[in-house]
Amino acid sequence: MDAKFIKLLLLGGAARFYFCRTSLGTVIGNRVEFATPLNSHKRMQEGIFLLQNGIDPYQGDVVHETPLILSALSGLFRNFPQFLPVFYILLDIFTAALLYMMAQRFVRKKQDQQNVETKEYATDTTELQFSGSDKMDIPELVIVAYLFNPLTVLSCVGMTSTVFSNLFLAAFLYCLTKGLLLPCLLILAFETVRSFYPVVLLAPLLLTFSGRSIRSGFLISLLFAACCLVISVANFFVLNSWNFLDGTLGFIFYFRDLQPNIGLFWYFFTEMFEHFRIMFLITFQLNATVLYLLPLSIKLRREPLLLATILVALMAVFRAYPSLGDVGFYLALLPLWKRCWKFMAHGFVVFTFFIVTLSMMGVLWHLWIYAGSANANFYFGATLAFSTGQIFLITDLLFAHVKRDFCLFNGQKILIDGEEAKIVLK
Amino acid sequence: MCQLRPRPLCQRLGSLLMALQVFLMAVLPAIAAATPATVGAPPPTTAPTTGGSRPNFSGPLGRSDERFHEELVVRPLSGDHVNTYFQFTTRWHFGKKDNLYHTQLTPRVIAEVLQQFDVKELHIGLTQGLWRYETWGYPIVEATSGAEMWAWFSGDNLTATEVDRQWGQLANVFSGVLCASLNFVDKTNSISPRHLLRPQFMPANRPRSVRYASLPREIVCTENLTPWKKLLPCGSASGFASLLNSGHVHNTKYHSLGLKVRMLCEDHLEDNCIVELTQTANLVYDLRLFELSNNDFSLRRLFGMGLNGFCELAESSKIYVQRNEQGQKYSLVPQPTQEVKSIRGGHLVVYAVYDMLEQFKDPGERLFNIAWLTPKNENRRRNLMKPTLPPVTVHRYLLGNGQERGRIATEVTNNHYEALPILVQELVPWYVHAYLHTLKIRRKPQRVNEYTRRWLPFKLLHYTPGKQRELPSHLEIGFTLPGQTSALITIDVDYLLLKWLEYPPDANHGHYIGAAMVSTQLPMGRNYTALPPEGHLFEHSFNATRPNYVLSLHTEALIVSLPTPDFSMPYNVICLACTVVALAFGPIHSVATKVIVVGRQASAPKNFVRKILGKIFRRNTVQVRAAAAAAAGAAQAEALRGGGGGRGGGRTAADQPILEDLREEEEQEQD
Repeated sequence: MDAKFIKLLLLGGAARFYFCRTSLGTVIGNRVEFATPLNSHKRMQEGIFLLQNGIDPYQGDVVHETPLILSALSGLFRNFPQFLPVFYILLDIFTAALLYMMAQRFVRKKQDQQNVETKEYATDTTELQFSGSDKMDIPELVIVAYLFNPLTVLSCVGMTSTVFSNLFLAAFLYCLTKGLLLPCLLILAFETVRSFYPVVLLAPLLLTFSGRSIRSGFLISLLFAACCLVISVANFFVLNSWNFLDGTLGFIFYFRDLQPNIGLFWYFFTEMFEHFRIMFLITFQLNATVLYLLPLSIKLRREPLLLATILVALMAVFRAYPSLGDVGFYLALLPLWKRCWKFMAHGFVVFTFFIVTLSMMGVLWHLWIYAGSANANFYFGATLAFSTGQIFLITDLLFAHVKRDFCLFNGQKILIDGEEAKIVLK
Repeated sequence: MCQLRPRPLCQRLGSLLMALQVFLMAVLPAIAAATPATVGAPPPTTAPTTGGSRPNFSGPLGRSDERFHEELVVRPLSGDHVNTYFQFTTRWHFGKKDNLYHTQLTPRVIAEVLQQFDVKELHIGLTQGLWRYETWGYPIVEATSGAEMWAWFSGDNLTATEVDRQWGQLANVFSGVLCASLNFVDKTNSISPRHLLRPQFMPANRPRSVRYASLPREIVCTENLTPWKKLLPCGSASGFASLLNSGHVHNTKYHSLGLKVRMLCEDHLEDNCIVELTQTANLVYDLRLFELSNNDFSLRRLFGMGLNGFCELAESSKIYVQRNEQGQKYSLVPQPTQEVKSIRGGHLVVYAVYDMLEQFKDPGERLFNIAWLTPKNENRRRNLMKPTLPPVTVHRYLLGNGQERGRIATEVTNNHYEALPILVQELVPWYVHAYLHTLKIRRKPQRVNEYTRRWLPFKLLHYTPGKQRELPSHLEIGFTLPGQTSALITIDVDYLLLKWLEYPPDANHGHYIGAAMVSTQLPMGRNYTALPPEGHLFEHSFNATRPNYVLSLHTEALIVSLPTPDFSMPYNVICLACTVVALAFGPIHSVATKVIVVGRQASAPKNFVRKILGKIFRRNTVQVRAAAAAAAGAAQAEALRGGGGGRGGGRTAADQPILEDLREEEEQEQD
């Protein structure tokens, strides 16, 4: 914990606090890009209000937060509504701190690993190896990317519950690098019951903790299921009803609310023919969860954290109700793979994609909803392009990692007949 | 009828219905605890019955006593409007339920519905236009624009699902009977009001349930009027119904057809029942549309023809013409034979009465007409006489712009000087999300334009959240509105994007949000013309002074424009979205399944055409096939099995052999 770290945290908090005091909070809280049916602050308020008035919030379909969170925040929302922004800011800063510590630990581990393997590395690969300064640089980059990314700042200012999701994910990653099995399981189970998709993060967890034994892997999976059950039961006892399962997980799986967001689901299922709906629903949910899980787990079995990063990113692209807060979170994990950056070819393209589509989203939304001079296709186009940009980024990272891994052992310059060879996937 | 012939059952029912009215108020006093005007009401379950002697059914009112009455009320309204109100009442003391098979005057379908279902009370309204409370006062029968329907069910072992089933079937029956779209009434637009609707059937102290639905989009037209007239004993052949010609009815500014059925049974004796069918037609004409030189009008002018007589099956057939207030300036031709003064709640109304049975006493065919004549010296000038403002008026509007979200504002104004208890019921359809935590009641004194920050507290709140495609949101709130004050009830809503096939044909027309219902109880009878709950004829409202009067009002219906998708491109959207998914699938698939190979990079040709050709024929790049797919697979599998025990500590086992293979192959090539 050095002074710079504290300063960055304070600065990030101050930036958020400044924007909270402007009218930006309500604007962002109403933007579909940030506030989805799952994470919007308005729905959280509604849920807590209904809960306090003795009405089952899950009877209707406005509220999709878990009962535990609703009842935990109930007192805060009722008694100290003026401190809510501060509360969200504190959580977000805590997330940043967790990411920082996670990054520190990760770099240290990488360096240890490097020291063991260093003899096997090719000669011209120093720039691919973690250097001494990375111990400071990478955590700093991570925390800067989290604290000063406009996406996370605005997501926090809009008081979306993505702040909680990010906190849980950061805590999960921290526990993962630190090797704390039980907290890891509990956090993951909690987040899974909340928003379903994090269930895929069981794969990096198993890779980290089970070693090579199938038996311990099975045991951990069982333990995870037990944790999920315990948390569900705890949720059950808040209202003494299982309605919340349909209100949270069922709502996510069946994609009942077609409110536009930055994902692929909304327009697809708006325009879907009714008799194909179930099939495509299952296809899309499989795509968002297990489709890439197995191949990536096999490919990245030695890099659980990279697997987690990729899965979190894929989740943010393919989940039913993604928000820009999710995007901001996985962008903050990218500096961990600083040593892969050399091989990332599409950086500029992706950056341009992000800038252009994000600014177009606001414009096209206005044209569609308020001016009436555009239609839904325009906005859909922007979200589609944004998803494409994200996919480029993710696949780029994957390729970069594979190439780095190869070059680390075989050297960056492979000469065939005195000519530089080309590395391709076959 | 009750007044004319002393009949024990009638009196008994009368007293019971008085109790019912008291019961009706049972909720409102709870709100108006602080209101001095309210009298304490006994709890509903102790509705008193005048126990004792059994009613004498052997009197003039036999077991199958069935009577039909027709009434027409003409009330000139301010602003050159005329309200004509038709009421056709069939009252049948049928006794046992089995007797319902033998109908005479009551339509068979009504009797069958009562046989088939546990429905005890049914209201259906089909209305076009908006009743303007400020200028027209209160209508005799309340209705909201479009179709509206509610029914009370009561019976043994009636579960909620059974009620829902019966409600759906009932709506379908009357959809056929009235040729209205009532078949669209289902779970998605029906609610069970908790406080606002009170029963008017008897005995009402049993377990009972109510369902309410409104279809604001429904357009009422000739196709509804004709089947409605067919329910009358005389049809449209004779009597007042012959005046209801669709060409003239649908030229009005406001027309509302109503159907009300209720059962009145003895408390403990289910086989001693009366069924009451009331059909009403409430019309408002705008005299200016007749383009006359003066404001004279007549029945012939209003309905296209004179009256050809009375319905021969009718017990009574009377026309009531209001003579005071706006009716004062008119002289009537022919002169009325009788005048009735009615003082109700301190409010005097004078009616001229024409009894058709007397008018058409003599044989011979002729047409009867009444003319309203203004004095000659009064020129064609708008009626400038300001009407007295009714005690409570309501309005509703939408705030906000765009197709994303809005705010529903309901304004209730109390023009009275005393505080009044107000109940408001909102039915928000499922395609609009309401946020209960944003519900606010702001108040302002009547003379002030701006609403203050002062909030009125709720006395009562009932809320059922809505569910998409399943349930509407249902909100009932009660509060006390101080005298000379307006209350603005606002609630924030989100407009949802629907599936493309869920939009009606004209999607950009917008979606309707039904009218809110507002109920209150007035301490005085100013502008109040509704029938007392215990009465069934219009004449029963004469001199019907009560401690207070239950008033029910409807606000305007709203229309919201939801965001619409583009209806023309489902295929394109499916293709594009799937393409993006494939964009991710392809690279991840290749990363996961392919191995790295090193190829020789030949110098790229400068010529663009040759570059292309080179790409096609791959002549310039000598690719070195390193490992066959099988070898790669084997290497992968080996890596999987034996790979790094020390997580990443191990050397990437897969890479080394491939590179060696590569080199070998290169050597071979070099040879």
